[in-house]
Amino acid sequence: MKPLIQIRNLEVRKKGMNICRADELDVQPGQHLAIVGPNGSGKTTLLRVIGALEKQFTGQCHLEVPIRQCVYVHQTPYLLRGTVLFNATYGLAARGVNARERNAVALQWLARLGIDRLADRPCDQLSGGEKRRLALVRALAIQPQLLLLDEPFADLDQDGIDTVCDALDEASGATILMASPVPLPERLSMRVFSLR
Amino acid sequence: MQLLWNGLTDAISLLLNRDPLVLDAAWRSLWISATAVSFAALLGIASGSLLARRKIFARSLLVVLLRAGMGLPTVLIGLVGYSLLSRRGPLGGLELLYSPWAIVLGEICLAVPIIGTWTHSAIRGLDPRAAETALTLGAGKLRRWRTYLSETRLSILLALLTAFARCISELGIAIMVGGNIPYRTQTLTTATATETARGELARGVAMSLILLTIALLVTLSIAWLSRGKEPQ
Repeated sequence: MKPLIQIRNLEVRKKGMNICRADELDVQPGQHLAIVGPNGSGKTTLLRVIGALEKQFTGQCHLEVPIRQCVYVHQTPYLLRGTVLFNATYGLAARGVNARERNAVALQWLARLGIDRLADRPCDQLSGGEKRRLALVRALAIQPQLLLLDEPFADLDQDGIDTVCDALDEASGATILMASPVPLPERLSMRVFSLR
Repeated sequence: MQLLWNGLTDAISLLLNRDPLVLDAAWRSLWISATAVSFAALLGIASGSLLARRKIFARSLLVVLLRAGMGLPTVLIGLVGYSLLSRRGPLGGLELLYSPWAIVLGEICLAVPIIGTWTHSAIRGLDPRAAETALTLGAGKLRRWRTYLSETRLSILLALLTAFARCISELGIAIMVGGNIPYRTQTLTTATATETARGELARGVAMSLILLTIALLVTLSIAWLSRGKEPQ
């Protein structure tokens, strides 16, 4: 099977410093991959290169998926001004889904991540953990083929981690790449790619 | 001091009796400035956001020129406007000189740099994650642009209020291209200058009071809106 992501001799340099290096990485469709490594090893940069947010690199990074089907979730998510529901439906609205349908889909995902009661709340009134869950809802609602998560378990308590793991289990079919400096929850069985 | 006090009491009496000259100038000032700021908003927001997000030729120079435009003396705008709109000027055929629309055109030139500069600064100062979030969630160019404007709407609203305050209180453009014709092109500022020079201090004070009230309302609005401007 042709890999969904194929990386060869990828290198990112900033101000003469090598900030990310990945010699060889193939990710198959539907695979879940954890990118681990110490701080500064280039986990975020690698995800940004794959998500086409980082354009200055040498080597090869080939994706067998349209970039519109690939969603990157920041380590510290940025929520747009407005309500929780507005944020949750943003990606669906960008895809031309009508208001009734996108609200229904977004509310389902908000419920799965346990924040449906906050649908009408302005985003600046959310806690760190709630913001992270909302960013995940926003990404999962559009059912991307490739989901890039930068440290999705930061700021979450055990209950939050369990909820996110449940939600990721439900993102069936999606290829998931996750950067994490800490050991991943045991229940997540993922292939591990280490950066030094 | 007695003169000013008498002027103030007479002015209040004029306002209470709805002096036609005062009300006419006030109404004209309001609609001219509101119209000018509306058109300037379209041009200023478009140019400011374009310069903030697009790599276009001579972008740095254009930004400097836009910023420099904020300090343009109104008499200079009036002078250039007069040269263009006078019968022998390139736009003389439009016969706009000494009409309210000539003042509107001049005030657009005054307001565009203010709105453009504020919009540019606000969008440039936006958290880079905002643009990346919109992009990664699949927003097209138009939706991303709407998102930038939505995220910076408070700064843009403040720019509109500032431009309105500058337009309604300017004198140079209104005199030079408006001609200060009573009941036709006279605005609060030109009428205040004329009436005071004619010894009609009460009218001058009455019109100044209206200007002061408008300026205070705009300032209070800016202060109130700025209060809620918190980083996310």
